[in-house]
Amino acid sequence: MPDPIIITRKLRREFIRDQFHVIALEDVDLEVQPAEFVALMGPSGSGKSTLLHLIAAMDRPTSGEIKALGTDLRALSDRQIARWRNQHIGFVFQSFNLIPVLTALENVELPLRLTKLSRKDRLEHARTALELVGLGDRVHHLPRQLSGGQEQRVAIARAIVTDPDIILADEPTGNLDAGSALEVLTLLSRLNKEFSKTVVLVTHDPHAAQFASHTRHLEKGQLLPNSVAV
Amino acid sequence: MIRHWPLVLKNGLRNKRRTTLTVCSIAVSLCVLGVFLAIYHSFYFTDATPEQAFRLVTRNKVSLAQVMPTSYRQKIEQVSGVREVMVMQWYGGEYKDPKNMFARMAIEPARFFAMFPEIKLAEEQKLAFQRERSACLLGRELAEKFNLKVGDRVTLKGDIFPGTLEFTVRGVYDNTRRPADEMFFNIQYLYESLPQRRRDFAGTFAVLADSPDSVPRVAREIDALFRNSPVQTKTETEREFELSFISFLGNVKAFLLSVCGAVTFTILLVSANTMAMSVRERVKEVGILKTLGFTRGAIMGIILGEAALIALLGGILGWCLALLLTQGLRYAPVMIGEIKMLTLRPSVTVVLLAASLIIGIASALIPAWGASRTTIVDAMRHSG
Ligand SMILES: Nc1ncnc2c1ncn2[C@@H]1O[C@H](COP(=O)(O)OP(=O)(O)O)[C@@H](O)[C@H]1O
Ligand SMILES: [Mg+2]
Repeated sequence: MPDPIIITRKLRREFIRDQFHVIALEDVDLEVQPAEFVALMGPSGSGKSTLLHLIAAMDRPTSGEIKALGTDLRALSDRQIARWRNQHIGFVFQSFNLIPVLTALENVELPLRLTKLSRKDRLEHARTALELVGLGDRVHHLPRQLSGGQEQRVAIARAIVTDPDIILADEPTGNLDAGSALEVLTLLSRLNKEFSKTVVLVTHDPHAAQFASHTRHLEKGQLLPNSVAV
Repeated sequence: MIRHWPLVLKNGLRNKRRTTLTVCSIAVSLCVLGVFLAIYHSFYFTDATPEQAFRLVTRNKVSLAQVMPTSYRQKIEQVSGVREVMVMQWYGGEYKDPKNMFARMAIEPARFFAMFPEIKLAEEQKLAFQRERSACLLGRELAEKFNLKVGDRVTLKGDIFPGTLEFTVRGVYDNTRRPADEMFFNIQYLYESLPQRRRDFAGTFAVLADSPDSVPRVAREIDALFRNSPVQTKTETEREFELSFISFLGNVKAFLLSVCGAVTFTILLVSANTMAMSVRERVKEVGILKTLGFTRGAIMGIILGEAALIALLGGILGWCLALLLTQGLRYAPVMIGEIKMLTLRPSVTVVLLAASLIIGIASALIPAWGASRTTIVDAMRHSG
């Protein structure tokens, strides 16, 4: 077996807000293999998003270890983390989170602005990514001129345009109708199968989980053992 | 930040009405700032003209409203380095309507043109003016404003002085240094209109020195002449004399500076409020950008860039307004030459644009700093 692409050991994240003390994640040991498609399930508030944020280095753990692509994320500075995330992570949110004043193409191009690519190359990459998600004919549309499903596909195009190793999707179908949801899940599955991207998909929906090669469950901040049946 | 220019631009245009209003309020404030800076500049940073550098003004030490005996002229002429001395008297009066404000000066025609070489007019008009007791000279701007030509009659009703004076326009002059908006006439004509015992006075003496270098010494020596006289004098360079005129208006310097300061501070608050609002609306987008790998520095740059862009736009617009206004003041009914000659010098332009940039950046500094420090998780939880 190759080395896991994501490893966490005794990962813990606590939030202290005013007098409330929330343990969002407790002793999470997770391993994800390269090119795996993992569905992360669990009730609301079980810590799924928190775990995804930690893997994306968007948040820092309270304690425990976390390694992705062999990098100890705790050791990186804020700048290094920003750069690392730009290169290696594609993140998809539940609410599509496009920049409203930018067209589909400009939204997708955005992460490439942090690279050394020329403008021409950036636009070409962005166009390719949009074609891949089936929106080659919508490049100059603003987010408000697109349907929810199309917006989410633009967000996926933006997540993959830098050719990241890991795609993290936090309930990407949560705001979509069944048809659009299916398109999005099919797309993630294709990215996993055809482009060997490692995908971690957070979802409530057992149907969605069927697209994954593995499913893991979180409950009250704890990762249930692998053996638990779906 | 340059890389993110398109984003900066689009962000700036996102809320067009707010951006327009902000640009306009900055423009108006900076226009005011520009005009006041221009006034300040022309009052306190403008050198004497080459002709002025030779001239001094002697007046009664007590106040400008008090006169001196004309016999002082002979004594002043004795001071070495003095080439010419001329009596000048401010004649208030009224032309047709009290609202018609312009300077009316009684002078000595025989000495006048040597004293003020910047005043230009045709030779035959000079001679006609010098020949005729009741002749007067009008600046071209003045003549045009009141539609007066050579040969026309001008009547001044006295206020400081009793009676009415009737003049014939014998010349229309140009001034190579300042607006030609004054009226000059022969002081003898004024004297003759007064009772014998009230004739022998001089409001000021214009003194022409043989070189700019001797001006300070001449000033000292003139005043020394009259130190023990009942009527003491105060002699200044013509430029200083003009400035003392301005200080008649009160502490102009402090006034101008405090207006400039208040305007700058107000607009800083206004644009700080706008920037805080527009950044607050975009917390989530900041989270998105960070998720995509934008660093804190880049976020700061984008927000500051937007603020600087808006403020600079306001600054440029304000500069244009100030330009219009200063040009307009040329035709304003004020008698302070400086105000009429206001121009937005390069230094004022630079200060204005720099001020707008600083206002823009300073107003966005705190919101930009705050946004750049918000963690992604906090930003994304922000409902908006
Ligand atoms: N930034 C935060 N501040 C305070 N509490 C938080 C924060 N993020 C998450 N939590 C808490 O941590 C727990 C797990 O949240 P989350 O990971 O969002 O759950 P899920 O995504 O599974 O619904 C919840 O109780 C939530 O209230
Ligand atoms: Mg969640």
